[in-house]
Amino acid sequence: MLEARSLTKAYNGFTALNALDLTVKAGEIFCLLGANGAGKTTTINLFLNFITPSSGTVAIKGIDVVANPLETKKFVAYIPETVMLYKNLSGLENLSYFAALAGQGSLSKTELRDYLRQAGLPEDAADRRVGFYSKGMRQKVGIAIALAKRAESLLLDEPTSGLDPKASNEFANLLRTLRDRGVAVLMATHDLFHAKETGTRVGIMKRGQMVASLGTDEVGHADLERIYLEHMHD
Amino acid sequence: MILRIARKEIRDLVRDGRFRWSAVIVTVLLTTSAALGWRSWRELRAEQARAQAEARNDFDEQGEKNPHAAAHYGLYVFKPKPPLSFVDPGVDPYTGVSVHLEAHRRNEVGNRPARDATALQRFGELTAASVLQLLLPLLIIFLAFPALAGEREQGTLRQVLSLGVRPGTLIWGKAVGLVVALSLIVAPVLALGVSVVVLGSAESARTWPHALAMLAGYVLYLGIFLAVALLVSMRSRTTRVALVVLLGFWILNAMIAPRLATDLARRTVPTPSSLQFTEAIRRDIKAGVDGHDPEDSRIERLKQETLKKYQAETVEDLPINFQGIALQAGEEYGNSVFDRHYGALWTAFGRQDTMRKALGFLFPTLAIRELSMALAGTDNQRSRDFAESAERYRRDLVLTLNRDLEQNGADLGFMYQAGPELWRGMPEFRYQPPALHASIQDQTMAWAALVLWLSVTVGLVCRSTRTLRVD
Repeated sequence: MLEARSLTKAYNGFTALNALDLTVKAGEIFCLLGANGAGKTTTINLFLNFITPSSGTVAIKGIDVVANPLETKKFVAYIPETVMLYKNLSGLENLSYFAALAGQGSLSKTELRDYLRQAGLPEDAADRRVGFYSKGMRQKVGIAIALAKRAESLLLDEPTSGLDPKASNEFANLLRTLRDRGVAVLMATHDLFHAKETGTRVGIMKRGQMVASLGTDEVGHADLERIYLEHMHD
Repeated sequence: MILRIARKEIRDLVRDGRFRWSAVIVTVLLTTSAALGWRSWRELRAEQARAQAEARNDFDEQGEKNPHAAAHYGLYVFKPKPPLSFVDPGVDPYTGVSVHLEAHRRNEVGNRPARDATALQRFGELTAASVLQLLLPLLIIFLAFPALAGEREQGTLRQVLSLGVRPGTLIWGKAVGLVVALSLIVAPVLALGVSVVVLGSAESARTWPHALAMLAGYVLYLGIFLAVALLVSMRSRTTRVALVVLLGFWILNAMIAPRLATDLARRTVPTPSSLQFTEAIRRDIKAGVDGHDPEDSRIERLKQETLKKYQAETVEDLPINFQGIALQAGEEYGNSVFDRHYGALWTAFGRQDTMRKALGFLFPTLAIRELSMALAGTDNQRSRDFAESAERYRRDLVLTLNRDLEQNGADLGFMYQAGPELWRGMPEFRYQPPALHASIQDQTMAWAALVLWLSVTVGLVCRSTRTLRVD
């Protein structure tokens, strides 16, 4: 589904991402771990064609992202660290707009409300303007957008940072549901615990390179933390 | 998809306090200025009609007198205030609207409200034209500067583009949304304008096409500002940069360009001051034929020629009144002097106008100013056309009176008197403004400037969609 081959991005001399090889298959949750500036967000931006690779290829569902940026975006949903919404519109109106832009303009109000409920947004919040929303509520609208888009893959950029444990947990459950439906998930995160719990694979990144990649069923919590810290030491 | 985006933009705008307040302010200003303009137009027109009738009546009722004395008495005529001058009073307050017609003299068009205006009024009267030319572009800038720069700053642009929306679709949707939002503001005033033009006046058949052409001009002009605002918003990293750049563009157009154009025109094509001009005419006339002075050598020659023509011994023997011939000769000499001086002045003014119109290619506000005044019938060209028309009437009037003296005053000499039938027999002065296609043709340059600006800016917007940055 999501595929990177020798993917490299350099900004005048500085290599943000160095020869990344990565495959996320349907039904997999791949967690990218690493310090800030390790290249996690760069990887996600490359999948979204927000930046163009210096070399290597990046593909979604076997379609090259650089050559077909609009086509490949049909198959992914993106949730950033903080989901930004239009503050003058209600949660429902925001979802309706984003869904329409994603090609789901024919969804009825009931269906849209249903997506918001699935994402865990309290029912009475749907009609309030998002100017009053907490970060957790906005993330939930972001999830509802992803659900409404029925994307086959998800690109998540630290989506749970700043969420309370309960909200993080709900989010993890939702990810598992999606995984079971066969969605391919690529998630950048700092949360080792949730990476181990929900992820199928983890990749540890350092200075633009993936230094380790392992299945979460191969290691325990303590091992994962140890391996991570070992790599972070110079 | 474009409509879906437009709908969201409108909803977003309408719920924004900034939009509501600016809408209220602009609506109030535009409605007030148009209504005030309309009322003062009606008052002025009624006043003018009364003054014109009174002046004509005074002329008709001056009783028995020598026709040349009647020519000295003269007549006031007025430049009719065209209906669309309530939208754009143009240069009328500076060039004047009435002129006194009399023998021997070509008076300047006078009655200039600008001369009596206070310093405060010099900042600009509140007219519908100034609202359309200056305030609406400012409103467009305030509504459109965050269109993309704001979404970029907020981070919503990332999300929108991650959905797979074509950037061009997004921009067009926003443009349509802004156009509709602006129409909501302008529609009430437009309705008012239409009703005024329709119900307005006897000339509505003539006013309609002018109003439509004017509307087309303003649509082009405001379209340019919208395209520029979107372009800058697309290319700016932050809303602050976008706003500063756009305000700079506005200041350049609204404040700097008009002064620049006036100064540049005055410097490249210098024209004499009013005092120098009248002095030059006075000097030339003095050197010519004076119909009132029997000692004038040229009059003596004319007398000999006339005597020869009628084979008469003395002026008293002539079957005609020689005074009439002498006076008309003086008149015609004067006219040739006027033609020379005014011809040169008009050519210079015309070149200054052309220069200002050419500057419209750099500053669209200059182009719309010229266009709007021309279509309202209040531009320089029209005021010159009126002055010329009044002058032609003056010459006909004086000629008719001198001829009457010449042909009917043979035996009485200067004692000859004509009656009210003669005064009443003079045709009414009716200023005929040029036709619509002439007004439009005169403004080819302004039209070209506006169309060029719009197509270039829209072209740049389209090109920029291909390289739209996410952040």
